[in-house]
Amino acid sequence: MSSHDDGLDLRVKVALYRRFAETGRRPSVDQVAADVGAGAEAVLAAYRRLFAKRVLVLDGDGSSIRMAPPFSGVPTQHVVESNGIRYFANCAWDALGVPVALHQSATVRSRCGESNEPLTLEVGPQGPGPSTWVFHCLVPAAHWWDDIVFT
Amino acid sequence: MLFFRSEEHVRRWCTANRHPVRPIVSMEQLWGLSAIWYATRLQADSRRPQPEEMRRIFGGLGLTGDFWDPESDRFG
Repeated sequence: MSSHDDGLDLRVKVALYRRFAETGRRPSVDQVAADVGAGAEAVLAAYRRLFAKRVLVLDGDGSSIRMAPPFSGVPTQHVVESNGIRYFANCAWDALGVPVALHQSATVRSRCGESNEPLTLEVGPQGPGPSTWVFHCLVPAAHWWDDIVFT
Repeated sequence: MLFFRSEEHVRRWCTANRHPVRPIVSMEQLWGLSAIWYATRLQADSRRPQPEEMRRIFGGLGLTGDFWDPESDRFG
């Protein structure tokens, strides 16, 4: 990989994360291309390199961003609202990760994986406050990226 | 990676779906993970923790053992 690629990858990463943070939605390839002043094919090549670095995950179409942790590019059961913007998180861990990444307070809404009982957490700078809810991860850490969407 | 109302809910879900019960993580531990993992994610120089850093992060929150080892092959 060339230093040119490294530079483009960094600009693409910053641009797509900025878009997620500002809108709560995944940006299109064309939007990111415009942001970084590169062509769509160059951005797609950067996406593939960023996947190899475990920065993002693409949808099956090979161009739409499925995950840029903690943000999800598709609706999930983990919804985070902050500063009037609604975000989707990839998982329970990422649901708390959204306010951390944004450095903003947020309301996290999710549900129990077994009973579907709704969960609402007000998350401030010090976290969500005392809660008896728990987190469970089925996949061992060494295998998270075998199938990160399932994880 | 899901929220559950209690440890009992985790056990019921695992039994119903024939999944093994993994280590239960408190909300306080989960906040600790998120706070470390994502604090710099929007910054240009952010990067995903490497295995040794991951062990330190997990260990610092009391998450130890093969399950939390990013390079363990115990689970096949």
